[in-house]
Amino acid sequence: MWNQVLQSLQGSMSRVVSRIAMLLPGILALVVAVLVFLAIGWLLAAMTRVILTALRLDERLARGTEAIAEWTPHYTPTVLITRIVFWGMILLGFLVGLEALGASSADNAVPARLLAYLPHVVGAIVLLVLGNIIARFLSRSVLIGAVNMNLQYARLLSQGVKWLVLVLTIAMVLDHLSIGAAIVDMAFGILFGGIVLALALAVGLGSRELVSRSLEREATRSNVEHMPEEKLRHF
Amino acid sequence: MANVELGEDTTTRIESPATADLLVAIAAPVNVEQLRATASDTIRAMSPRSTNEVDPSISGLRAAVAFPADVAPPTHGSDGAVVLDPAGSGVEIRFIPLAESGVSAIPWLGTPATYEAIFQAARGLGVKACAVVASDLASFRPDLLQTLLAPVLEKGADLAMPVYPAGKLDGLLNASILSPVARALYGKKIRYPLALDFGISARLLQEIQPARRAAAQGSSLFWPVTEAVLRNRTICQTGLEVKHPVGDALDASTVLTQTVGPLFAEMESNASFWQRVRGSQTVEMVKALPAAATTNAASVDIRPMLETFQLGSRNLQEMWGLVLPPVTLLELKRLTRMPAEQFRMPDELWVRIIYDFALAYRLRTLSRSHLLGALTPLYLGWVASHVMEVSKMRDKEAEQRVERLARAYEDGKPYLLSRWRWPDRFNP
Repeated sequence: MWNQVLQSLQGSMSRVVSRIAMLLPGILALVVAVLVFLAIGWLLAAMTRVILTALRLDERLARGTEAIAEWTPHYTPTVLITRIVFWGMILLGFLVGLEALGASSADNAVPARLLAYLPHVVGAIVLLVLGNIIARFLSRSVLIGAVNMNLQYARLLSQGVKWLVLVLTIAMVLDHLSIGAAIVDMAFGILFGGIVLALALAVGLGSRELVSRSLEREATRSNVEHMPEEKLRHF
Repeated sequence: MANVELGEDTTTRIESPATADLLVAIAAPVNVEQLRATASDTIRAMSPRSTNEVDPSISGLRAAVAFPADVAPPTHGSDGAVVLDPAGSGVEIRFIPLAESGVSAIPWLGTPATYEAIFQAARGLGVKACAVVASDLASFRPDLLQTLLAPVLEKGADLAMPVYPAGKLDGLLNASILSPVARALYGKKIRYPLALDFGISARLLQEIQPARRAAAQGSSLFWPVTEAVLRNRTICQTGLEVKHPVGDALDASTVLTQTVGPLFAEMESNASFWQRVRGSQTVEMVKALPAAATTNAASVDIRPMLETFQLGSRNLQEMWGLVLPPVTLLELKRLTRMPAEQFRMPDELWVRIIYDFALAYRLRTLSRSHLLGALTPLYLGWVASHVMEVSKMRDKEAEQRVERLARAYEDGKPYLLSRWRWPDRFNP
């Protein structure tokens, strides 16, 4: 009896050890692939930087549009492209390494599933980063615009926009990762619909008088403009 | 951003063999019919046969008028430009429509590409001088053209900049930022560095290419004074008795963003020049400054501006904190707690704020549109402070007050130099 238990344990132990031993070359291949692609990435990034600097890309883009600088004020387009090339190569190395890991494994069901899922994870990370950048940019834009329009609830408005974008981003990320897809869709629909309904009710009922006063003011603006009041001239 | 390339239409039109003695140009979109009528009247008045007394230096000259036009009007002359002899006056006026080269964010100012087209037309015509006038045509009058062109034609100046009859509450952006910053940087006491009207000599317009320069430095405006200063050309000022009804259509934030942004861009590209400039020189005033009507500053409601400043102080600390050093933030905090009637923004504080924002513009600490947007509440705070301060002053005293601010900018230049050269150095 005891011998059978020992045999069984030894058998499972040897199977696990042999599986780990089979995985080791794969892990080594993964590390080697990442290191090789790291070196290639570094080389390509350096070459890209030299070429883009020679082409004076930053100056050329500055002439046409400020769009890139508006979204990423700290990094010039050259630095951005260089970094994309570098991290793209590392990602490629990681994928190659994973493929090698899968190939070296006898039972490759888990790495294959992992490999298939990996693009979703990468996509979700990209979505999350982009969503954060957009949320921060829009929230700042709304805050500045609202302050300059002298709206007392500027902060509230800006936070509202920020969380709206973040909630939308999180919903998209979860959807992309296929985590609780139906629940997320439903929750987002309810949340978004609820916000819109609350705003509609707030404007329709709570701010009825405010809206009518505002319209009234617009209608009588032409008369007000003729009042002989001294004005400031900024320019 | 303005388009650098000139339209084929423009190039064809201005490469004509015809010549003229002077060119009057409008840089912003203009009502063509009104322009024709005004130009005709003006040229007739400038004719030697006219009974009007006009300075002989410009009377009887062959004149050309250039203006931006999306559609070329029917041509009468062999060279493609419209030729007009107003009422048989013996004076020839040629209309040169320039191909549309984009619309400036500030509608009353032309794009650098339009200025480029104007100067190219002037070079093609071989003019002695060129007067650029505002698109409302208020300065397209014989006496005012004479005021702009006489310093160039008679006194040998390369650039004649106007001094408008401004009241205490006129041109506040100019008085608070544009003029004193340009003065501190380039060392010339020019009252309106971004004027709508100016006269320019043939010599200077041969040398400048506004569109190419604007493209190189990422600026969307043309700064004639900077161009002249960089080339060490003679500049003078002349009192131009005209008021242009500009600025009412746009809010303070838009005007601030669209003018201060290009000023900071200019600052960045000319850093090697202005870092060597010390102090400032008085620029010759050819014609005395006309007296302005006294403005009753007490009737201006400053509460909304103060509210915007306080709202900005409550909400924009995160962004101001990225741009301004702690001591400035502390002083701003102290200002927000002041009662409205005692609210005063010290010159030194305002100057440091502008210099720090200029540096942040260069370093891209924030997105540039956000940066200039975050400056607006501070500017409105300065306006509120200034209005309260000058409300009891006479116009002359208010002018002296503006002069004191300009001197504060000059005094604060070492701070700018230090921050510009060593932006990472600890700045308490």
